[in-house]
Amino acid sequence: MGNVTLGRYIPLDSPVHRLDPRSKILAMIMMLVAIFFPSGWIGYAILFAVVSFMIILSKLSFGFIWKSMKPMLVMLLFLLVINILVIHTGPVLATIGPVTIYTDAIMQTLYIVVRLLLMIMITTCVTATTKPLDMTLGIEDLLQPFEKIGVPSHEIAMLISIALRFIPDLIDETNRIIKAQASRGVDLKEGKIMERIMAILSLIVPLFVSAFQRAEDLANAMEARGYQPGERRTRYKVLKFKTGDYVLLACSAALVVCMIWLAYFR
Amino acid sequence: MKAVEVENLTFSYDLEVNAIDGVSFSIESGSYTTVIGHNGSGKSTLAKLIAGLLEKKSGKITIDGFELNEENLREIRNRVGIVFQNPDNQFIGSTVRDDIAFGLENHCVPREEMDDIINRYAEQVRMTKYLDHEPTLLSGGQKQRVAIAGILAMKPDILIFDEATSMLDPKGKDEIKRVIRDLHRESSMTIISITHDIEEVTTADNVVAMYKGKVAMCGTPEQFFADPSQVRKIHLELPFAMQMEEELAKQGLKLDRTITMEGLVEQLCR
Amino acid sequence: MPIKFEHVSHTYGEGTPFCYNALNDVNLELKEGKFTAIIGQTGSGKSTLIQHLNALLLPTAGTVYVLDRKITAGHQPKKLKSLRQDVGLVFQFPEYQLFEETVLKDVAFGPKNFGASEEEANQKARAALRKTGLDAEYEERSPLELSGGQKRRVAIAGILAMDPKILVLDEPTAGLDPQGAAKMMELFDSLNREGKTVLMVTHDMEQVFRYCDEVVVLENGKQKIQMDVKSFFKDPELCRQLHILPPALIRMKEMLEKKGFEFDEDIMDLRSFSKEVARQVKKNG
Repeated sequence: MGNVTLGRYIPLDSPVHRLDPRSKILAMIMMLVAIFFPSGWIGYAILFAVVSFMIILSKLSFGFIWKSMKPMLVMLLFLLVINILVIHTGPVLATIGPVTIYTDAIMQTLYIVVRLLLMIMITTCVTATTKPLDMTLGIEDLLQPFEKIGVPSHEIAMLISIALRFIPDLIDETNRIIKAQASRGVDLKEGKIMERIMAILSLIVPLFVSAFQRAEDLANAMEARGYQPGERRTRYKVLKFKTGDYVLLACSAALVVCMIWLAYFR
Repeated sequence: MKAVEVENLTFSYDLEVNAIDGVSFSIESGSYTTVIGHNGSGKSTLAKLIAGLLEKKSGKITIDGFELNEENLREIRNRVGIVFQNPDNQFIGSTVRDDIAFGLENHCVPREEMDDIINRYAEQVRMTKYLDHEPTLLSGGQKQRVAIAGILAMKPDILIFDEATSMLDPKGKDEIKRVIRDLHRESSMTIISITHDIEEVTTADNVVAMYKGKVAMCGTPEQFFADPSQVRKIHLELPFAMQMEEELAKQGLKLDRTITMEGLVEQLCR
Repeated sequence: MPIKFEHVSHTYGEGTPFCYNALNDVNLELKEGKFTAIIGQTGSGKSTLIQHLNALLLPTAGTVYVLDRKITAGHQPKKLKSLRQDVGLVFQFPEYQLFEETVLKDVAFGPKNFGASEEEANQKARAALRKTGLDAEYEERSPLELSGGQKRRVAIAGILAMDPKILVLDEPTAGLDPQGAAKMMELFDSLNREGKTVLMVTHDMEQVFRYCDEVVVLENGKQKIQMDVKSFFKDPELCRQLHILPPALIRMKEMLEKKGFEFDEDIMDLRSFSKEVARQVKKNG
């Protein structure tokens, strides 16, 4: 589990880390939208430059981005093969044995690769620079206007933050149960089907039991400290927009407009 | 003035066996009371009933003169704070600071006042240095201290420790016991400590001994230990001083009843 | 010699920024049939150490010998499964590993994993349940609806049913009431008398004092002390240096010595201690 980089918070001190999570989330949405306009290679070049600039600004290393990208490689390779087999338009690039490769196949794959790369760069740049709790605060605030139509923004945020809070504990718990059952001869890697099923049950049942216990304890602890879902409460952490946030939002909006222009009005 | 009055209280989890069975006792305001009993004697259930976290089957609970019922529930919960056994499962915030703030948010304390309150109670439990730490970086004892700060910040009159030290290592246990002792000395809060620790009983003002869902004894530690056979009968052990006193009696050395080692030494050196 | 550690180190997350050295050049030899206490503060490496005994963790340096197996850093050991049968490891709060529909099935789960037939496994399970003091009426009940103390006993029976040669316990009485804890300790004591080697991680010095033969003290991943229990508690100063509260009897002895009483070093049980105190009081009074 220690090797997962996608979506992980990296505690550094950078201008991007200090931005308001709301502006980062909004900018992320805008940029993700911007990617999906067919703005051609010039558009992608611009996007690429902007996003790279953000990554440098956030002090993240490109190696970190590359690590996030790695799990996708197999999928991309598979996509390339499919595209080569399916797309038969454009000039012929090369013929290897019975397979003829057309330029469109390569171009199509490249488009997807670039879009995916950009998406990963953008989301990583946000998740790696925003504490999970700040992220939930941001989501809560952004969902606030939808409360009128019945979206329980506060409850959603509370749910996410508690889930985030207990993920490390649950991972520990899982490891402990795996070891305890291994001590009773459970072998997750080998055995007949029945044995495998038992092995998995021997992990899942205790995990559920302990998760329910945890949930009950937590509910008691929250209630004992006066928490009542749906009731008004004040908030300790308040988010404040600063100049940087306005700049980020303005730039993101400009980028979207630019991509639309490149795609449809040129 | 009575902080807690329990009259003929009955509760059951499964409608078959009563986990709490016709229990009556009262606790003086400002006192330090230990509730002791074997595993499954109903002592933790009792704590949750007093804190308004479980609903009784019959009987009456009165807190600071308010009867615990649907109507008064909010009021009672504001008056009764409870620290639970498992340090991990009561840490709600993502940092120490946020965790102490959680209760304040629920009580609609204005944001501007929160930092002061957080700092004050973090200081009281000696956690000021760790305000921005995440729970994974804290020891069990530290997490329990945070839980205490979070409860204290809500200014309860009655503070219940529900086996709050049982999952801690000796260092953590000492830290929490010290915090409890200081609280008892420096504040007028009523402290109720649910425990297995017979030595802790010797330091309390009062004892409520539970046995199979009933109150076996209620009184001062001296009264409680007056009859050692009764203590054994409810599946509890005697403090070391009393065990030794019994052995000395067998050797023909009769001493006055004493529950602390210091008391025993004093008698032996007379 | 059933257990030997030779220059054993264990580093978690080697080569990552989170790398952490939990054991550091531990050298240890434990004799057969002893009841050994492993003590030390939280984070001193106790849990890491015991997980090497049934190869849940492998040393990142050095060699561990357990019974007739040799586990050397860098070599994937063979016969892992039989090692796990021979070394029964009971984790802290083992009641969390129960999962079967009935108590009997849960206890028989271990033996079955190690190749016992249904009948054989049930037989072993029944025997183990009796040892832990749970009679036939519990066999068909769901382990999840038992009380905390009973669950703990079922979980321990689940390990005993594997008939391990070495029993390793991680704070087996944590959270139990004094009487439940005492019963549990009596059980381990009787197993030890039957010839099983028992290792126990604990913070409870009264238990160490009363039941154990040997003490191993870990500090910051290093083994600091290994000696027999009597010599360990002879010098309360040693305990203090290690931030350990000596057992009540030792503290009492110390308090009385300050008041002019004199005791033989070997007095280690309450009866003979009280006898001696009474004698001296009568003589002086």
